[in-house]
Amino acid sequence: MRRVAVILAILVRSALRGMQSSAVASGIAVATIAIALLLIGAFALVVVNMQGLLDRFGQDLQITAYLEEGLSKAEQSLLAERVSTVEVVGRVRLISKQQALERFRATRGGAALLEGLEGNPLPASLDISLLSERRTPEGLGILNKALDGLPGIAEVAHGQEWIEGYARAASLARVSGYALGAVLALATLLIVSNTIRLGLYAREDELEILALVGASRTFVRAPFLLEGTLQGAIGGVLALGVLWAGFHLLVPQLQYGLAFFLGNTEPRFFAVAESLKLISGGAGLGLLGSLAALMAWRS
Amino acid sequence: MYHVSKAYVAGAFALQDVSLDVSRGEFVFLTGASGAGKTTLLQLLFAAERPSEGQIVVLGRNIARLRGSAVPALRRRVGVVFQDFKLLRQRTVEENVGVTLDVVGMPRREVRAKVFTMLKQVGLQHRRYHHPVSLSGGEQQRVAIARALVGEPEILLADEPTGNLDPDLSVEIMDLMMSAAMRGTAVLVATHDVGLIERYHKRKLHLDAGRLVEDGPAAGRTE
Repeated sequence: MRRVAVILAILVRSALRGMQSSAVASGIAVATIAIALLLIGAFALVVVNMQGLLDRFGQDLQITAYLEEGLSKAEQSLLAERVSTVEVVGRVRLISKQQALERFRATRGGAALLEGLEGNPLPASLDISLLSERRTPEGLGILNKALDGLPGIAEVAHGQEWIEGYARAASLARVSGYALGAVLALATLLIVSNTIRLGLYAREDELEILALVGASRTFVRAPFLLEGTLQGAIGGVLALGVLWAGFHLLVPQLQYGLAFFLGNTEPRFFAVAESLKLISGGAGLGLLGSLAALMAWRS
Repeated sequence: MYHVSKAYVAGAFALQDVSLDVSRGEFVFLTGASGAGKTTLLQLLFAAERPSEGQIVVLGRNIARLRGSAVPALRRRVGVVFQDFKLLRQRTVEENVGVTLDVVGMPRREVRAKVFTMLKQVGLQHRRYHHPVSLSGGEQQRVAIARALVGEPEILLADEPTGNLDPDLSVEIMDLMMSAAMRGTAVLVATHDVGLIERYHKRKLHLDAGRLVEDGPAAGRTE
């Protein structure tokens, strides 16, 4: 165990020495990884926030079924009871005309709008919440079908089309992110691989000497793998830092534009686990790049 | 070595039908003109080259059939002093000598202590933090010797180890290798230095155009 730790320390020292001796090439590799991850990270940040809004829609999803005028209280209650038996429904709340009026009056500007109106123009309605596990387009479809066949329902409002459109946009952003990520990752791999390969050629004499004094293949090659991984991780940390700074500088400036996309949802930065994923993504890219370089070097 | 031949190009033999045996603790000079096959013979012994024909058994391992993955383990038991030193230019003298111990995973503190003792023996302890480029040819050669000896190898192969040294220092280095032999290391030294060969009166193998033409004590002989 101690021997493994000693060898690991030697390999890490050797990797750091390698980075130091080819500082410019290493710097270019780190910067390339950082730029690639910055772009991928920016896309991911947009997707994460859009997804967050979708999740919130799901949680808050409430369907309002407006009732026809002229229904008696008993008929309204019966309707509410029948709706509550639909398999996807979790809770149904009957809002009388009077309650609807009070609710509207309580909203900002509502009282002013109601001034001058005679009587109560607002219909009674049913506020319907879906069971948490059925808050899906399919669940909504089942409810719509059930409501369609019920006499006494005048209109149903739930913004399903809007949600579906937004979900499509989020999905498009995610797919575009994957495509962009794949292209950038490939370009980054090539650059890291070439940087490591240059390092390998520059240090060929050293590697030969190590082999001559009895160093194993792993001992000779591992520092280069570590070097690539380290470059990737540093690139990831840099990208994360720039994203963090950009996020905190730009979000206050763009709050009105963001409100259009995110509504009342507060934009959020990556959580710790997501940040670690970005850094390990960079490390992974670096590792793959150096593996490719070592394979090409051997051939 | 049993009937070993080595041809880099088909038909052109660098070594031809060489058979020899070196025991533990034995000190052997390898002589011959340039191109006689001395370096090839040494390279075969630490598996830098494979024989074209014949068998070579080193420390119980058959070089002709040795798997690539087993070569590092063999080399850790064989110290080699190269004619062109093969020092790591960007590392200090201490690191150059210590690399032999690093590859076996020896803790740093132990490495430093062993390297210091070794450098003291070759008279370079005061140069341990210098880089090879700032050393003279003789000093670089002594670093190469220290690196070969610091791991206490069972076999020591040296290709012209005193080529860049003045006579006094040559004797000191030879004494160092001699004492390694007395501790049980089989030492094989390729050299042109007739004075040294005569001084030590040890077994001499003489190669001529890849063939072993002489195998016997050096006493009273000249090249």
